[in-house]
Amino acid sequence: MKKYFLLAGSMLVLCTGGAVPGSNPAPPVTSVDALGVGPQPLGPLPAVTAPATNPQDNAKILLGKQLYFDPRLSADGTVSCATCHSPAHGWSDKGPTSEGIKGQLGGRRAPPVSNAAYNPLQFWDGRAASLEEQAVGPIANPIEMGFTHDACVACLSGIPAYVDAFRDVFGTPYITIEQVGQAIAAYERTVVTTDSPFDRYAKGDNSALTPLEREGLEIFNGKGHCTSCHWGPNFSDGRFHNLGVPQTGPLATDDGRYAITKNSKDKGAFKTPTARDAGARPPYLHTGGEKTLEDVIRFYNKGGGKNANLEPLMVPLGLSEREIKALVAFIEQGLASLNAEVANEPGIPADQLPR
Amino acid sequence: MGKINIISAVLVGVILLTAPAALAIPAFARKTAFNCAMCHTAFPKLNDFGQRYRDWGYQLPGQEGTEKTVFDPAASPIALRTTPVFTLYNATQPDQGQGDVKGTTVGFNVAGLDLLAGGLLHKNISAFFVYTPRLDVPAAYGGANNATGPSQLGSLESANVVFSNIIYRALNVRAGRFEPAYWPISPRRSYFIFQPYEIYDFGGASALPYGDNQFGLEATGHFRCGFKYGLGVVNGNGGVADNNVNKDVYLNVLKIFGPGDGQSSGQAAGLFGYYGWQPTTFASPIVSPWGELDGGANKPVYRLGGDVSLNWQTLNLRALYLQGFDDMAFNAAAPTEDYKYSGGFAELDWATLANNKLVAAALYNWVTPPSSDESSTVASYAGLARYYLGDWKAVNVALHAEYAYRKTGKAGAVKENITGAAIDVAF
Repeated sequence: MKKYFLLAGSMLVLCTGGAVPGSNPAPPVTSVDALGVGPQPLGPLPAVTAPATNPQDNAKILLGKQLYFDPRLSADGTVSCATCHSPAHGWSDKGPTSEGIKGQLGGRRAPPVSNAAYNPLQFWDGRAASLEEQAVGPIANPIEMGFTHDACVACLSGIPAYVDAFRDVFGTPYITIEQVGQAIAAYERTVVTTDSPFDRYAKGDNSALTPLEREGLEIFNGKGHCTSCHWGPNFSDGRFHNLGVPQTGPLATDDGRYAITKNSKDKGAFKTPTARDAGARPPYLHTGGEKTLEDVIRFYNKGGGKNANLEPLMVPLGLSEREIKALVAFIEQGLASLNAEVANEPGIPADQLPR
Repeated sequence: MGKINIISAVLVGVILLTAPAALAIPAFARKTAFNCAMCHTAFPKLNDFGQRYRDWGYQLPGQEGTEKTVFDPAASPIALRTTPVFTLYNATQPDQGQGDVKGTTVGFNVAGLDLLAGGLLHKNISAFFVYTPRLDVPAAYGGANNATGPSQLGSLESANVVFSNIIYRALNVRAGRFEPAYWPISPRRSYFIFQPYEIYDFGGASALPYGDNQFGLEATGHFRCGFKYGLGVVNGNGGVADNNVNKDVYLNVLKIFGPGDGQSSGQAAGLFGYYGWQPTTFASPIVSPWGELDGGANKPVYRLGGDVSLNWQTLNLRALYLQGFDDMAFNAAAPTEDYKYSGGFAELDWATLANNKLVAAALYNWVTPPSSDESSTVASYAGLARYYLGDWKAVNVALHAEYAYRKTGKAGAVKENITGAAIDVAF
């Protein structure tokens, strides 16, 4: 017995911020750490909170909105943020890829500004860690707005109404590019598309979605595998995936996230955009290569494109025609924001911009 | 009637004891907030995504290190599955000199209860458990009364730890009791409740439970090119203590053609081999603390075969062929001949309606034993339909109807059929 106890003993050892006042309900900026929590349930968006370094206030938001719609932030005064991130196109543009100053074509489609406040990282390749950083990036991009940050600040400093507005908001007698970024970011944090039929359904209104849209929701979170990337309240994991999207447009190749991280796993990977209001912004994917929602679902249905670094999440789905139709209905109508003041933001006419 | 009673009792016992374990894991669905159809063509059968989730050690494929662990209070790692069944069973057995003996039984039963727990402990380290508590012994049960028999208190059907991505995708290790990876066609993820894949556990007296989960250690790899392997060293006695010092080895290899993973899209073809030894003598009455005996004079047994899984839209055709060899020491019918047999099965599954709510499947099994044991010849046909209710989070409720016909033996064959209805519940 003693021997057995010894044996058994040996084996045991072996085994052993605050919400924005007024304006739209706005979400907190998801921290980069949130990338680690994994899939979250679909549901209504939480309120936005602004970073402590850039608290929201109405004056700043108004200033940011003026800057957002002001083409004078570009070198030739023709391109504003709203040119490529237009409310009329679901806060993106008509595509396929974006057009900057002097008719230059960008290599990628403009990602939507709506709900960008929830993205842990900005741009298709995640090169900006905040909206503030993102907001000033295109200004100095030679293909997009074609300015330099210094020239942009000089331009704005020559507009008395802006000088007054910046002084009122930031309390400084001069304008900095960081302030420009902060103001635009403050405005972008109010561009939150809520109150979709899905949101109403998620809050208990069973009639908010049609039977076909409900079927689409079920497929979205099941056989369609959409939520393997488009999860959480913003219908986006904020991560980067290689879908095998065929390269089209002016770029011969596009390494996506790899250009930032130099991690071979990221080669050809691009950020998951929100699926909210996706019906309002065709064409699709970072190249704009798929014209309609149905096209993009068919692209996924065959398992994406061919690529040596194809995301292992990508598998053929086996969706039937009926299931494709249901998915389109859910995304197009079920995720279409009903808060018209954001979905159809009229913008600011040139003659009403600060002088 | 006595024989029929025994047959039916044994059949019920077989159903109760071999009911497929719940490998649809509501705990994973709760953690990820995904619908079950994310990982299952229809529960419990895995689709391509689910297979990759398993390949990656219960992590989202390619997303390792970015998920909740079992310690997250929002991701309870516990799940249950049970399957109340109703069966109508008929059997006809020739009785020499007295004409056929016929019998019918009708009964309610529960095809097992599984307690499941599983999940991620740390990046690339996960664990998986299935505990199957005791089922009451059928009154007329005449089968084994041992570690596999119904008098057991329960069985740790699965209890293993997985270390994933040790060398990227090329080396993953699983230790404990587990279902071998890239098992030709998983008996535990079959839609069929009343009709098993007969060939897996067929054989001479070697009692090699090829279809059972095994205790041991396994290395696996899955590559971008579609090649997968599972290489294991196991006791070879399923859930029973091993009785010899020789360990068994197996190698399963699989190649996927086209996009997907061969489960629900793409095409898969595999080869498998298992080589083991079983004792024929016991030197002494020594029993280890783990219940092992010191058997010796080990004789070989092996299984070899191939399988395919072919997909077209939502149709999946799976077929397997196996050749078995048990040393003559295990051939009770003809002790001077090795026990060589072959057989296999072909199964056609069809999934339809939104999120594959309706499934229909047909299965044909055949087993050809050596000529000395013709009475063990098996041919069986089975068909089923399953309908999944609702779209409830992390809950599966499937209504199941199945018919199976089985003929055993050649001359004087025993013919059985069972019509069963079941409610398959997991949450």
